[in-house]
Amino acid sequence: MNSRNKRLPSGGRIDRARPVDFTFDGKKLCGFHGDTLASALLANDVALVGRSFKYHRPRGIFSAGPEEPNALVTLGTGGRREPNLPATTLELADGMAAESQNRWPSLGFDIQSVNGLFAPFLSAGFYYKTFMGPTRRAWMFYEHFIRRAAGLGRAGVDADPDQYEVRHAFCDVAVIGGGPAGLSAARAAATAGARVALIEQDFLFGGQLLSKRTDGGAAAWLATIEAELRGFENVTMMARTTAFGVYDGGVLGLVGQQGNVDPDRAGSPRQVFTMLRACSIVFAAGAIERPLVFPDNDRPGVMLASAARAYLNRFAVLPGKRVVVAITNDSAWRAAFDLAVAGAEVTVADLRPVPASYLLAEAARLGVSVRTGARIARIRGAHRVNAVTLAGPKTQADIACDLVCVSGGWSPTVHLTSHLGVRPIYRGDIDGFIPGALPASQFVAGSIAGQYATAEAVEAGHRAGVEAASFCGKSKPARAPAKLDLRDTVSTPFRDPGSAGRGKAFVDFQMDVTVADIALAHREGYESVEHLKRYTTLGMGTDQGKTSNFSALAAMAALCDATIPETGVTAFRPPYTPVAIGALAGRAVGHHFKPFRRTPMHDWHQANGAEMLEVGLWMRPWFYRNSGRDVNEAYVAEMRMVREAAGLMDISTLGKIDVQGPDAAIFLDRVYANGFAKLPVGRARYGVMLRDDGIVFDDGTTTRLSENSFFMTTSTAKAADVLSRLEFLLDTAWPELRVAVTSVSDEWAAMSIAGPKSRDLLSAALPGIDVSNEALPHMSLLESAWQGKSLRILRLSYSGERAYEVYVGASAGERLWTHLLAAGEPLGLKPYGVEALGALRVEKGHVAGPEIDGRTTLDDLGLGRMAGKRTGFVGDVLRRRPAFQAADRHRLVGLECVEEGQRLRGGAILFKLGEAIQGHGHGRITSVTYSPTLGKYIGLGLFAGDLAIEGTEVLAAYPMKKEQVRARIVSPVFLDPEGKRLRG
Amino acid sequence: MAEVSALELSVADCLLVQIEAWDGTFEQFQSDLSRTFGIALPATVGETVRQPSLRAIKVAPRRFWLLYDTSGGPSVEVDPDLGALTHLGEGRIRVRLCGDRLPGVLAGCIAVDWRSQAVAPGKAIQTSFHGVPVLFVRTGEAECELIVPRSFSRSILDWLKDSAGGVELEGSDNSGMHPKF
Repeated sequence: MNSRNKRLPSGGRIDRARPVDFTFDGKKLCGFHGDTLASALLANDVALVGRSFKYHRPRGIFSAGPEEPNALVTLGTGGRREPNLPATTLELADGMAAESQNRWPSLGFDIQSVNGLFAPFLSAGFYYKTFMGPTRRAWMFYEHFIRRAAGLGRAGVDADPDQYEVRHAFCDVAVIGGGPAGLSAARAAATAGARVALIEQDFLFGGQLLSKRTDGGAAAWLATIEAELRGFENVTMMARTTAFGVYDGGVLGLVGQQGNVDPDRAGSPRQVFTMLRACSIVFAAGAIERPLVFPDNDRPGVMLASAARAYLNRFAVLPGKRVVVAITNDSAWRAAFDLAVAGAEVTVADLRPVPASYLLAEAARLGVSVRTGARIARIRGAHRVNAVTLAGPKTQADIACDLVCVSGGWSPTVHLTSHLGVRPIYRGDIDGFIPGALPASQFVAGSIAGQYATAEAVEAGHRAGVEAASFCGKSKPARAPAKLDLRDTVSTPFRDPGSAGRGKAFVDFQMDVTVADIALAHREGYESVEHLKRYTTLGMGTDQGKTSNFSALAAMAALCDATIPETGVTAFRPPYTPVAIGALAGRAVGHHFKPFRRTPMHDWHQANGAEMLEVGLWMRPWFYRNSGRDVNEAYVAEMRMVREAAGLMDISTLGKIDVQGPDAAIFLDRVYANGFAKLPVGRARYGVMLRDDGIVFDDGTTTRLSENSFFMTTSTAKAADVLSRLEFLLDTAWPELRVAVTSVSDEWAAMSIAGPKSRDLLSAALPGIDVSNEALPHMSLLESAWQGKSLRILRLSYSGERAYEVYVGASAGERLWTHLLAAGEPLGLKPYGVEALGALRVEKGHVAGPEIDGRTTLDDLGLGRMAGKRTGFVGDVLRRRPAFQAADRHRLVGLECVEEGQRLRGGAILFKLGEAIQGHGHGRITSVTYSPTLGKYIGLGLFAGDLAIEGTEVLAAYPMKKEQVRARIVSPVFLDPEGKRLRG
Repeated sequence: MAEVSALELSVADCLLVQIEAWDGTFEQFQSDLSRTFGIALPATVGETVRQPSLRAIKVAPRRFWLLYDTSGGPSVEVDPDLGALTHLGEGRIRVRLCGDRLPGVLAGCIAVDWRSQAVAPGKAIQTSFHGVPVLFVRTGEAECELIVPRSFSRSILDWLKDSAGGVELEGSDNSGMHPKF
């Protein structure tokens, strides 16, 4: 070990035969396989690793686990760039390139560290108080600069090229935590016959045992039980896997790391998000050491005592040669002793006046100097600690040092046990919170339950494992594991009341929250811990306050002169540690982002020039490129084709529901606002459904196939909602009705032939079928077969032209489509897309989604007469409420543009002429099209009923484009109001 | 069928009929089916009964799917006073999978515990595959079928192929054709 290398010549769990090259801020460094980035940085004597969130104070490595608040780095470049990763959890890999964060121009010289000089103005909630004026909009100006100044790492903007995966997994017993309690629990459950998943966030199993010397009993015990567990076929050992959330039904959210730079993972996912469903769960998540609060306690070189011990024994790094260990409990003495054995000059400053005599004796034996009743009053050194001032009951002393280890006790890691709403409960004997009353399927063991002694944790783990397996019905006898007594003692709680002095005393290192901030919040009345959290941002960093929570509670309790239980605890919510969005998405990116629905004619559309459009999950032809150069040209041409000859439209996306049963007619009478009971067999009827509140839910047609059988169609968008609604009503409102509803949307390929020549071409295409006006009048059905497949022809019109909806078994859809096109070619038949379809229906004044928008009633849409005086249907009562009868309710109107060369736009706000253009006006345009028939832009809109007088001119304002155009209110039916075209 | 790394995957049209009894008529409904058509129905949801040319699956408390192996199986009629019958043979496709890799591949697709008794061979479960409702039928130790809505089938098969590492699909032994979507 030289002056720039803190690696010990032997020991640790690193593989010295496998050196690993990496860089930090561009500087080439070397570590070993088995290192974390943090341990490798420490080994290379890198003390300064980051800058703090608000004040840009220099920060070093503080912990050795996921609780790390300071040592956050960014890995990767381009699409692989990932910020805010704790160096303490990053498994060192060849080629790893880490960058420090939140500094400019360099980590050593950061311009924004000047923030520290303005600290009095940057206290908790400063921006709530400071940036209030001069105008209400001023915040929008300030926010930009505040956001640029604040923050940690910056995410990349390029697409992430890596693969992620989501998987489902199952087990009987999930054990969270691979420390002594977890290992013992997993072994017991596996022996009992349970299928066990052992989840450990680290890349090694062992938990705190890894921080013990590798030549001691702990290491031997760990090796034995790990080998035993690996021998079980019913145990899945999941290292590098963090349980980040617990959800209903025994579901655990796990994210597994493949390794950040792993040349062997080509083709395999970078991270795997596993949804593990467990019959029972054993929480053995351990505990997190608490820091001490004293002035400048955030300086690089101040470190948790347990972390120093981990770096020493697990990674063979001696993090300091002259060490001050400031503590309030017994456990950290072990770190002091190990450091002394490794050759460090150690001073223990125990705040307690009289530590245990055996500790003092051991200290004397190892040459550790001890100061009792002493606390740190001051730290010296900016980028690295070089001395501390210890204040005792009577004396004060300056001690030169390069490492300060702190320990304020332990906080059980109760986060996961709280995710389902179980509040932790305070236990005075350990001065900490343990999990509250958990469900019967959940168990705890080890430090999480305040069982800090290793022997006790192992026994508790065994019991929990047996009980968890038994809960799953697995109860083969399981003998206890070998005892592991490390003689670690549980000390009497001794809470550090904190110390005053010059310099900031940090409670939350990551969010730069100090004792003074908490005092300020208290003075300003934010005494509830939830308010304190939000006002000061305490615990809101990427570490979620793992090291700060208890210290903050203690500070607030002291200020309020209350106990910790009285002060309460903030709620812990998932995720326990940050989870990459990519991991949650898994494969559901790119073309897998969502599943697409394709009609039976999809391939034909694509092969024949259709520009496809996503409509919900469906892919529909928007327009055909051979109809025009762009959508505007194409849809007008396709409209003309339908009005003058005939067009073929793929309408397979319509919702289709089979309604059967002796009570089917009664059922339809109740779900539709208009009656269906008297609909003759072979006839179709347009129907409108209302919601319970009287608002229009959906519309469509229903055809009576037989006395007890109906064929319902719904809008494409509402197909699933309508089916759910029908099932709900049958299951809850009218279970006595003998009716079955089944979605047959995928059963039928459907196509609409519309236009004056539609009958002729249908006759030509299906010569054996009589589609004359007598045989198949408007709103009627004809059933037949085509090439062995069921065929239904419904005479219905959406466009206003004579039209037929042709339904055939889905597998024959494309064949019939091409057959119709071939047969209709001499008559000019071509396909048309949804843009033209929408425009045709506007000309005809048919309402659709833009008008049936969840706010309109039957009367608003001019459909009130459909219901007439009928009663007893869904929405019947509330549709008659007075508010729906108001004269100024927006009603359906037609609009035509009256200005030459101008156009209407959907979404335009309607005002009276001469009225100031502000606010919401008196209505809006819902649908717009250019009408080739009328030679102008027309539209449908919803306009105040008391002003909607046909012939009145209004102003249509479109603020987004700063357009204003005059329009005239007309009938919404622009074309063939008598319906001669569709009936002829 | 294509065999790639111990995973076989094929698709076929799905000859499917849904039958449903009205509340309170189930005994007679079942008796009629058994007597007239020789079809026995499973007792609980998720159970299946294998019969010479079809598999009967209970998919809901009073609802059954009759999944025919080939066309030309016994046709079924239902007395409207006892229940309803709906042909669903056009709207779904049948994806058959088998091989040692199957549990691992499916773990990336659906939340089905391959080792659970709830999906032991002969059991069926309605589940979600990429947000799409599918029926999973365990047909053997290392075999299963997925009954997939036709309109979603290409998305589902794409996902399945990617999960399986690029397995090529082949048409079914029934239809001898790739499914049309």
